[in-house]
Amino acid sequence: MGIRYLLRRVAAALLTIGLIVILNFVLFRAMPGSPERILLGRMPGVTAQVLEATRERWGLDEPLFPDQFVAYLGSTIQGDLGFSYAARGRPVTEVLGQRIGPTLLLFGLGELIAIILGLALGAYSAWRRGGIVDYAGNGLSLILYSTPYFLLGMGLLLVFATGLGWFPTFGMTTAGATYDGPLEYLADLGSHLALPLVTVALGLVGQYAILMRSSVIETLTEDYVTTARAMGLREDRVLRHHALPNALLPTVTLVAINLGYVVAGAITVEVVFNWPGLGTLTVEALSARDYPVLQGVFLLLTVAVVFANLIADLVYGYLDPRVRV
Amino acid sequence: MPVRAGQPAVVRPKRGTIAFFRKLVARRDGLVGVAILSVFTVLAIAPALFVGPLETAITATGPRLAPPSLEYPLGTDELGRSILNLTVHATRISMVIGLLATLVTVLIGAVLGITSGYVGGRFDAITMRIADFFLVIPTFVLAIILTAIIRDVLGTGSREVLGIRLSLIVIVFVIGITSWSATARIIRSQTLSLRELAFVDRSRVVGGSSRHIMRSHILPNVTNLIVANSVLVFAGAILTETTLAFVGLGDPFQPSWGQILDAARTVGAPGLGAWWYFVPAGTCIVLVVFAFTLLGGALDDVLNPKLRTRR
Repeated sequence: MGIRYLLRRVAAALLTIGLIVILNFVLFRAMPGSPERILLGRMPGVTAQVLEATRERWGLDEPLFPDQFVAYLGSTIQGDLGFSYAARGRPVTEVLGQRIGPTLLLFGLGELIAIILGLALGAYSAWRRGGIVDYAGNGLSLILYSTPYFLLGMGLLLVFATGLGWFPTFGMTTAGATYDGPLEYLADLGSHLALPLVTVALGLVGQYAILMRSSVIETLTEDYVTTARAMGLREDRVLRHHALPNALLPTVTLVAINLGYVVAGAITVEVVFNWPGLGTLTVEALSARDYPVLQGVFLLLTVAVVFANLIADLVYGYLDPRVRV
Repeated sequence: MPVRAGQPAVVRPKRGTIAFFRKLVARRDGLVGVAILSVFTVLAIAPALFVGPLETAITATGPRLAPPSLEYPLGTDELGRSILNLTVHATRISMVIGLLATLVTVLIGAVLGITSGYVGGRFDAITMRIADFFLVIPTFVLAIILTAIIRDVLGTGSREVLGIRLSLIVIVFVIGITSWSATARIIRSQTLSLRELAFVDRSRVVGGSSRHIMRSHILPNVTNLIVANSVLVFAGAILTETTLAFVGLGDPFQPSWGQILDAARTVGAPGLGAWWYFVPAGTCIVLVVFAFTLLGGALDDVLNPKLRTRR
C-alpha cells in the first residue's frame, strides 16, 4: 500500500482527535462561571482567599492561551482527563475504565451479529429483488430503522422479561448472587445479556440490510457482472464471486462511517436495561452535570470511532487499489 | 424529460403544484407517507380540539397508573393524567421541534453547501473538513454536552420564544449545529456540477456577482434536492429530539413523545407491565419517522429522477 495514502489517512484521523481535544477545552471554559466556581462554589464557607488560592494552584490565573491550553493538552496526552465531580473526585479515566468493559461486550457482539445478518439479508434481498424476502425484509428494515433503539428495548423488556418472565429485567448479573463455578456465572451473565444484545442487533440490522441491498443492486448492473453472465456462469456463482466482493467494500466503509452516529444513539439501550456501561454513565453524568466525565465519554467514543474509520479506510485501500490514487 | 445538447442538464420541478402532488400520491410509498403525516399534522395543529387542554399535575383527575378504561382510553400516568391527552399534545411539541430543527439544519447546510461549491478554494476546503469532522464524530454525545452547557449558560427559567420554552429552543439549535454536514455535502456536490454549466458561465460573463449567481441560478436548481433532503432531515430531527428527551433533556412542562418515554422509563413502566404508558408515544414516533422516510424516497424519485442511480 502506498505510504502516502497511509500517512494521509493517519494524519486525518489525528486531526479529528486534535479538533475534539480543542473542542473539549473550549466547551469546558464556556461553562457558566468558571471551573473552580463549579467545583467550590456550592460549598459553604468558601472565602475569596480560598478561591484565589485554588485558582493559582490549578493554574486558572494564567492566560487561557497558550499557558492553560498547553497544560491541558499535556495532561490529556498523558491520559489525565481530570476528576469526576459526582464520583467524589475520582479520576475520570478510572470511572471510564470501569464502564468500558460492559459496553464493549454489548456493542462488540451486537455490531457483529447485526453486520453478519444485515449483510446477508441485504445481499439476498438484492439478488431476489422483488421477491417475498425482499419485500418483507425491506419493509421490516424500514420500520426497524424508524424505531429508536431504546424504544425497541422497552418493548422487548415488556414482552420477554415482564410478560413472559424469560429474562431478568435489569443489570448485568443478579445482585448479590454467589456462583459455584465460572459456568454458572456465564449463564447468569448470558441471561442478562440476551435482551440488550437482541435490541442492539435488531436496531442496527435494518440499516445495514438497506445499505447492502442498494450496494448489491448497483453492482449487479456493472459491466463485469453482465460479462460473467454472458460467459454462462451460474447465477449464484456470479453473485458470490463477482458481485458480492465488490458490493461489500462500499458497505463496510459506510458501516464504519455510520459508527459514530449509531453507537452514540445505541448507548441509550443500556439505560433501558440498567446495563452498567458508558451509556448509563453518560446519563448519570448528565443529570449530575458531571462535565469532566461527559467530555471523557465524548473523547473516548470519538477516538474509538476515528480508529474504526481509520482501520476501515486502510483495509479498503489495501483491497481496492483505486482509492489509493 | 429529454435533455437536448446545450440545454442545462437540470430537471426543474413541474410548474403546477397539483400535477406534482398527483405524481407523488400515485406512488404507494408517497401516498402512505402523505396520509400518515396528514393525520399527525391535524393533531399537531389543534390537539385541544380532540382531547381538551393539556393536563398537568394539578388538573389531573384520574387514578394513578391505571390501565385503559372507558373513561381513559389509553390509561393514565403516575400523576393520574390521561395518556391519550399527553400523547396527542406531545404531537405538537415533537412535530414543531422537528420542523424548526429541520429549518435550521437545512438553512446552514444549504448556505454552506452552495457557497462552498460555488466559491471553492480555501473556504471550500475548510468547510468540508469541518463537515467531515461532524460526519465522523459521535454527534449525539456532543449534542448532549452542548445542550447541557447552553442551558446552564442561559439559565433555566420559564422564558418562552414563540410559545416554545427556551429549553426546547436550545434543542432546536443544537440539532441544527450537529446535523447540517450531510445536507451541505449533498448540495455542494450538486453545486459543483451546476457551476460548470453554460448558463452560469453566461451570467458570470455578463457581470453577474457571485451573490447574484448563487441566489438566482444555483439556488433554484438545487431546490429539488433541498426539498427531498429536508424530509429525511425531518425524520432524523424527530429521532434526535426523542433520544435527547429520553436521556433527560426534555421539558416536562411541554412534553414531547420522547419526554413521555423518559417519564415512562423513570417510573419503570416496562418492568411494571404498564404498556399503555409508552406504547402510544412509541407508535407515534415510529409511524412519523417511517412516513418521512417513505416520503423522502418518493420525493427523491419524483423530483430528481436523474440522481436515482448515482450515490
